Amino acid sequence: MSSPQLVLPALLVVTLVAQALRPGWRLLIVTAGAALSCAVATLTGTASTTALFADVPWDVIVMLVALGLMSQIFVATRVFGMLAVASARRSGGRPRTLVVLFALVMYGVSGLVNNLTALLLVLPVLLILLRLMAVSQRYVSWTLGIVLVACNLGGAATPIGDFPAILLLGRGSMTFPGYLTAAAPPTLLALLLILAVLALVRPERTVQQSAVARRLSLAVVAALYRNTRLDWRLFGPISALMLAMLVAWMVVPAQRMGPELICWLGVGLALALRPRAGEQLLRSRVDVEAVLFLLSLFVMVAAVRRSGLFEQLIRGLEGLPIGAGGQLLVFLLLAGVLTGLFSAGPSMAALLDVAESLAQRVPPTAVYVGLALSVCAGSSLLLTAATSGPMAQILVERAELRDPEGARLHFGFLDFLPVGLLCFAVIQTVALAYALAVLVLA
Amino acid sequence: MSQLGPGLEQAFHVAAGELGMCSAAWLFVRELGKDGDALVAELRDVLGRSYPVLDAVATCWLEGRRAASIDVSAVSAACAGASQLLAIGLETSFLDALLPRLEGVAVWLLTQSAFSVDWDRVLANYQGRVRGVDLASFQRLAGRRSTLLVMTYGRRGELTFTSPEWLRVVGSDVRTQFRAVVGWDVLDAPMQVYPRWLVEAPCADFSQYVGAP
Repeated sequence: MSSPQLVLPALLVVTLVAQALRPGWRLLIVTAGAALSCAVATLTGTASTTALFADVPWDVIVMLVALGLMSQIFVATRVFGMLAVASARRSGGRPRTLVVLFALVMYGVSGLVNNLTALLLVLPVLLILLRLMAVSQRYVSWTLGIVLVACNLGGAATPIGDFPAILLLGRGSMTFPGYLTAAAPPTLLALLLILAVLALVRPERTVQQSAVARRLSLAVVAALYRNTRLDWRLFGPISALMLAMLVAWMVVPAQRMGPELICWLGVGLALALRPRAGEQLLRSRVDVEAVLFLLSLFVMVAAVRRSGLFEQLIRGLEGLPIGAGGQLLVFLLLAGVLTGLFSAGPSMAALLDVAESLAQRVPPTAVYVGLALSVCAGSSLLLTAATSGPMAQILVERAELRDPEGARLHFGFLDFLPVGLLCFAVIQTVALAYALAVLVLA
Repeated sequence: MSQLGPGLEQAFHVAAGELGMCSAAWLFVRELGKDGDALVAELRDVLGRSYPVLDAVATCWLEGRRAASIDVSAVSAACAGASQLLAIGLETSFLDALLPRLEGVAVWLLTQSAFSVDWDRVLANYQGRVRGVDLASFQRLAGRRSTLLVMTYGRRGELTFTSPEWLRVVGSDVRTQFRAVVGWDVLDAPMQVYPRWLVEAPCADFSQYVGAP
């Protein structure tokens, strides 16, 4: 191994570990790591900074920004908040029905908007209901845990739901309809399996609630959201535009017009519908943190790639004394664990080169969808593995949930851990089974 | 507590924060009253001392009153001529009823409470008709056509009771900056227990007081 092959990956790993340990300094750490990677790559003659920036998939960043803005426009229509309120009413305040309905709603919503936005839209309604119901710690941990995992699964179900799928779409690894038809069924299956296991765990056993109390809770929710109305004048055109974008993603060949351009044009039009609000969104709601974080990661991964380490890793994987199918399963398992430790963005960015090599020897769908599912499994392992986890933790702390005795309820790392371990096992198993099934059928 | 369940106090606390104590109390007694007066009496026994407005409302219910008395005519008359109105204290049932009578008046709500409140959720119900303003900046609303509307709870002689935010707003400097300071007795009944969560205010502090004499 050459010295850049040692120093650049070490720098990447140290940066990832440091940002995982100190999430409050995450942006500072990764941007500094990227700058150091550029310096090392330049000084060792591995690649110039210009070359590293040329390797950045800008189309993916354009899609991330544009879809984030589209999410904000949907927020303004209030459609998802109303959906959450309808679910609360539909549940009748019954604890078991509540978790199932909110998991399904979160799955659907996060398939269309990014995970953080989905959480911010749906969780407040659930949290107010949990406050009114005065539930137990066990019920809170399982309910919020399952909803969070449903958010990850929904994000993995569609090509526009979360970063890993957007990356696959942006890099041309998979087409829009190809990914949607391949990924949606296994993610939904994983969610149904998790809900089936939840029926055995029965966290609702610890909730003592009379029929009168349930009725009161629902009456209060109805009063709290008494005048929340759908903004039809915005929702109509935005839905039509979104539908047009979906159709274009499905029918226009990527060689003729890439998915990022369709996204850019569609979101541009959506913003132009209300120019003043659109300008305001562009100026204040672009997720600069996500852009800087991913840009820094892409630069660091590009530096490692230029050092030739990924080729060595691929050769190492190919050198395993097992068939290509076995190599794929090892790779997927590794992807799940690495994501659990380093989160989805870094893992996906680093592992895609290896995935592309594997996709030349086994059916690409098995590799890419298996990878997206494994990354989703890893994101669901620990509360810190996905950005939505700490966000959920903050929202729960702010909600000041209490049990019937008035003791404060929490949703921290250890509260989530049993849910995370179970969901990781289920989703990772589905990922491996899916890859195996595609291999067998091929 | 047996019929009402253990989480009742927390549920009322949440509702009182985001609907207002009087509006939440009427919601609770109305819902429980569907199953008979015994549950309302139980509610008063369990939570009455902690929430005196709830105690008074439950007593009204048990005495046969079936709804809050919301007479917006006198309040809208008291606010006549104002182009801006700042509400101190949240009472959603009352504010909702008053808004149609305030056409052309910009309505603001002081986003300050002793309870934990999601003000975005509260204001979303008004779809821009009511906007929030905090303690640090409410004085920018002052002017010769601006009125303060203060929610009050019952009357005892020359005194009434209101939420503590009022103390942070009122002052000899503030009073003169507004056209009128209107007190609105939303409870319209005497409180029988210690007025927890509330502060005393002389009725004379208001340029107009709307409620039972």
